[in-house]
Amino acid sequence: MEAKTAYLTMKPISWNRLAYLERWAMQPSCGAFVTFAGVVRADRHEGRTVRALFYEAYAEMAERQLAYLVAETTARWSLDAVEIQHRLGLVEAGQISVVVVVRAQHRAMAYAASQFLLEGIKQRVPIWKHTHYDDGTSRSC
Amino acid sequence: MQIRVRLFASLRDAADTGECWLELAPGERGMDAKAALAARYPRLQDLVEYARLSVNWEYRPWETPLQDGDEIGFLLPVSGG
Repeated sequence: MEAKTAYLTMKPISWNRLAYLERWAMQPSCGAFVTFAGVVRADRHEGRTVRALFYEAYAEMAERQLAYLVAETTARWSLDAVEIQHRLGLVEAGQISVVVVVRAQHRAMAYAASQFLLEGIKQRVPIWKHTHYDDGTSRSC
Repeated sequence: MQIRVRLFASLRDAADTGECWLELAPGERGMDAKAALAARYPRLQDLVEYARLSVNWEYRPWETPLQDGDEIGFLLPVSGG
């Protein structure tokens, strides 16, 4: 893993992968390491339950916007390392849709940067979700 | 000039295609591409009003002049995460 990476992936993001990231993150000069994993919720809407989300992206632009977001966040909080993985394709309820890993000198910087990255993804990275329900219906956004 | 258009999510569903080309006059802008798109696909007319414009993978204002060969996107509010 490079120090600052962000990418889209069609492959499931495993919890084992997160364990690997945590081992990688040990760095005595940095006092804080925050891992955020977003998980698809089995929400209920009008009697239907979310079975899965299908994520699609404008991939060329999404990767570019992710790189800008990582660069901006790294500079603002003097981060030592960042990794973002975002799933594309069908993600079942209970599976990981996004992971944000941040390593920084201090706790406050790491938490703030993690939150900023997530908000940035939700506001400016061209990724859209389609909701699939347990009754076979679906809804695009 | 020829402009490549990319459509996603509900816009792609409504147009029944994720990509098309528009023929615009030199000097025309993002807003002119929006009007041309709505004229070609009337079902997009209301939806495209909620979209943002991208030109060559960057967010740009609707007033942006377009160039021959540009790739533009009509991007509905994103919902990643």
